[in-house]
Amino acid sequence: MSERFEQGMSTLRKQMDARVVSYLSSCVNCGVCAEACLFYTETGDPRYTPIYKVEPLRRLWHGEYTFWGKLASAFGFGSTLTEQDFADWEELVYDGCTMCGRCSMVCPVGIDIAYMIRKVKEGLAAAGYSPDDLKSAAQRAVEIGSPMGVTLATLQATISVQEKECGIPITMDREGADYLCLFSSGEIVGFPEFIGSIARIFKAADVSWTISSDYFEATNTGVQIGNSAVAAQLIERIVSAAEKLKVKYVISPECGHAYTTIRWDAPNIIGRPLPFDVVHILELLDQLRREGRLKTRGSTDMHLTYHDPCNISRRGGVVREPRHLLDMVAPNFEEMSDHGAMNWCCGGGGGVSTIERARDLRTRVFNVKKRQLDEIGVEAVVTACSNCRHTWEDGLEAYGPEEDVVELIGLTELVARYLVEDESRAR
Amino acid sequence: MTAKPAGEKSQRKPHIGRWLVCLLAVVLVVPLIPYTFADRGNVPNPGADLWREVRQREAPVTGTTQVKGVDTGVLINIRGEQWRQFRMQTLLPAGGMVLGAVVGLIALFYLVRGTIRVPGGRSGKRIQRFTEYDRILHWSTVFLFYLLAVTGLVLLYGRFLLIPLLGPDGFAVTASACKEAHNLFGPLFFVVLVLLVINFIRSNLPKWVDIKWLLKGGGLFGGHASAGYFNGGEKIWFWLVTLFGLAICVSGFVLLFQNFDQGRQLMEISHVIHSSLALLLVAGSFGHAYIGTLGMEGSLESMTTGSVDANWAKAHHDLWMEERAAKGLDENAAPSPEQQSPPGKTAPGYQT
Amino acid sequence: MFAEFVEGPFWYFSLGVFVVGVAWRFITMLRFGTRRDLSVARASAAVGALRTNLSRFLPRREVAGRIRVPVVAGYLFHLGLFALLLFAAPHVEFIKNHITGFGWTPMPHWAFILASEAAFIGLLVLWLHRVLNPVTRLLSRADDHIAAILVFVVMLTGCLALFQSFDGLRVTHLFLAELLLLYFPFSSLMHALMFVPSRGYTGASLGRRGIHA
Repeated sequence: MSERFEQGMSTLRKQMDARVVSYLSSCVNCGVCAEACLFYTETGDPRYTPIYKVEPLRRLWHGEYTFWGKLASAFGFGSTLTEQDFADWEELVYDGCTMCGRCSMVCPVGIDIAYMIRKVKEGLAAAGYSPDDLKSAAQRAVEIGSPMGVTLATLQATISVQEKECGIPITMDREGADYLCLFSSGEIVGFPEFIGSIARIFKAADVSWTISSDYFEATNTGVQIGNSAVAAQLIERIVSAAEKLKVKYVISPECGHAYTTIRWDAPNIIGRPLPFDVVHILELLDQLRREGRLKTRGSTDMHLTYHDPCNISRRGGVVREPRHLLDMVAPNFEEMSDHGAMNWCCGGGGGVSTIERARDLRTRVFNVKKRQLDEIGVEAVVTACSNCRHTWEDGLEAYGPEEDVVELIGLTELVARYLVEDESRAR
Repeated sequence: MTAKPAGEKSQRKPHIGRWLVCLLAVVLVVPLIPYTFADRGNVPNPGADLWREVRQREAPVTGTTQVKGVDTGVLINIRGEQWRQFRMQTLLPAGGMVLGAVVGLIALFYLVRGTIRVPGGRSGKRIQRFTEYDRILHWSTVFLFYLLAVTGLVLLYGRFLLIPLLGPDGFAVTASACKEAHNLFGPLFFVVLVLLVINFIRSNLPKWVDIKWLLKGGGLFGGHASAGYFNGGEKIWFWLVTLFGLAICVSGFVLLFQNFDQGRQLMEISHVIHSSLALLLVAGSFGHAYIGTLGMEGSLESMTTGSVDANWAKAHHDLWMEERAAKGLDENAAPSPEQQSPPGKTAPGYQT
Repeated sequence: MFAEFVEGPFWYFSLGVFVVGVAWRFITMLRFGTRRDLSVARASAAVGALRTNLSRFLPRREVAGRIRVPVVAGYLFHLGLFALLLFAAPHVEFIKNHITGFGWTPMPHWAFILASEAAFIGLLVLWLHRVLNPVTRLLSRADDHIAAILVFVVMLTGCLALFQSFDGLRVTHLFLAELLLLYFPFSSLMHALMFVPSRGYTGASLGRRGIHA
């Protein structure tokens, strides 16, 4: 066995904990998890069954920690993991899973399958069996500070444009500001109006905020690829930037996995509590709404719906806040079937949208969102994750340009459209 | 003993023994002669008249008893003996012959005709035919049916076939266990049968094309017979299972739940219905099982995997395929994902 | 002689292996430990653990339509089995004499029949689903099939032993039940006990995030 494989096995072994053992001991192969996973329901391929994606971890546990497994090994006919298994499972785990956690919500014995998939990635990544696209993205994230290669110069240029458009100065590196805002590269490049929107909202609500020139990337490619060392490195940069600017809060922007990473996983990845509180932009906006600091006038009469980004709602716990905000500005709001914490994933998160070879698969599984859309026939889909937005754009394009054009809108941007700016200033 | 020259000793005495024997015979037989010609007169068995009276009743006349209940006034049930005779002399041999004949005919047919292959070979294209629910219902019915069949056959034929094998004590345990298993699983068979009938009845309504299919012998002996989702033969089997099956269940319930004032007559009739229809259904099941396995290539997978080869479907259910084509269903039928590559192995270039 | 073995030493052996084996599984699981979650909780983890332990007894609306057969069959089997295990008259006697020293009112005969019918049809349909569904067919291993067949045979011999007075079947039932006890700690049957910490960990981890898992 190669050294790389041994490295992978040793990393995989380190993933074992009481949770994993209780999960693997409880699984009776009932297959319910498959019925919740869009990679199975839209392809009919049983290999995308969530618990099947965890097979490398299960076989390691079975072979090295169970009675029958150890007995079989002693007699020389155990089903020990081979390097070929790592190679075979790469596509299932990386291309065929966004770690959206829908499977974890339905397992009758309560297995958090997404939790274990994250651990399987650690083993595969350590052995070098992760997609090249993710490897390059991780390298860019470490070397440049952005998986898409967005430099500080690009960000500054984008900020400059937004300042001009909204007429509000955006100050970087303001020491002592309350909030430090991060951005996903996807937002900076694709939906820069987010920056202008928050500038206007924070001005109207009198929120003291800033952006760090040392580090601004919200997404964590280390988590996407399953490399805790890289993940920790990227988190430390956020911590350094926040500590340097002495902020109280870090805002996680419109991005799903970025939120779960910084809010829920980060302290555990770096092994110590964060020296700041984390808040998702939607949480902050809702708080401002509650406090009467965020006022809107008028609303859109568009028949629209909200796509819950999985790692904000289901894994993040931010479900009600977007709906409160939508209540303010979109009276003609209709929920999709299966919404909130049980929404269907867009199929692009967790690094999947970065993997070029997974494009066809992603397009195919997007069919579930298309179906949800067709059921309610809305004019627009509102979401709060730039990656979801990109995936939606790709998906809708693939399903025929002759379809009625469905608008994709960011929630922050939608709220900002109806923002009352003058009144709030005069208090 | 050394042989003596024949006739040597008997010639010595003047036939005294023979005469003594004759005298004994005369003494014993002669007094009987007057008896033969004497009037025997009426020396009746004191009870004979009563029993004759009782047994020869044409209709069951119920007498009066202290204990009031169904059949309590019937002293002797002559039909019981008739029923027993029917069971032992008619049902068992006839049943055995029917079962044996069917197995024999199937074996003969297989030897002559062999497995009927898919005309033109398999295409590799799969068509979805039975849902998971269809298949679960089917195989539950199969399991319960054969469990009941085997336990039931032990109750009918066990004493002849199993006592030599297991001995009387061994057979006693076995037969007793079989009776209990038969009684326990019978009601489950009813439940599953009802669900099965409800699930498949709409596809089994008779149509003219089925008559034509039957007249052509289903194409079994050459030629082609058109068929829809189910052909005439399948529909006949469905209705046999439905009607015989339900009758077996109803009669089975009569036999099983005996606290509802069933009289002996009802029990006897129920038993006759139950066992004769069951034997016929078992015989029929051999034919069904044969066609679905050895008899026709490509049939079994319809009930195991749920899908069939397109060429199989075109050959045997062409009208069904035409309906599907009209709905545009099979344009993109691809090999099933499981067929693409073995579990866990990524096929080069994953195909949608 | 076989009866004496089954009712004597083999009973104690299998019971011992069961108790020690189950304890061993739990101890080794706990010894792996979990890392303390250093993130700031939004809600109570303990409440989440309890909530998820209870909520997972019912399928979520969003997925219920797809899993009707295994849910119905699963409940028929499990409820029937528990009713038989705990309330069948011979079991109540057995538990009273060999385990607890006290008993309780057993269920009437008709309830026993109903429970056993439910358990049998549930297990049969569940196993057929396992074999006929492409997902479960891919996932299932020898352990799953052995467990199903062993439980079926134990239930079957139990029912047959109840109705008739042949001692041989009662001894067979006891023997097979003892085999089941031996098999239990080393098989997926452990889910009967392990589901509690499993649901608990997930409920706690997601519950502290404010998610009703």
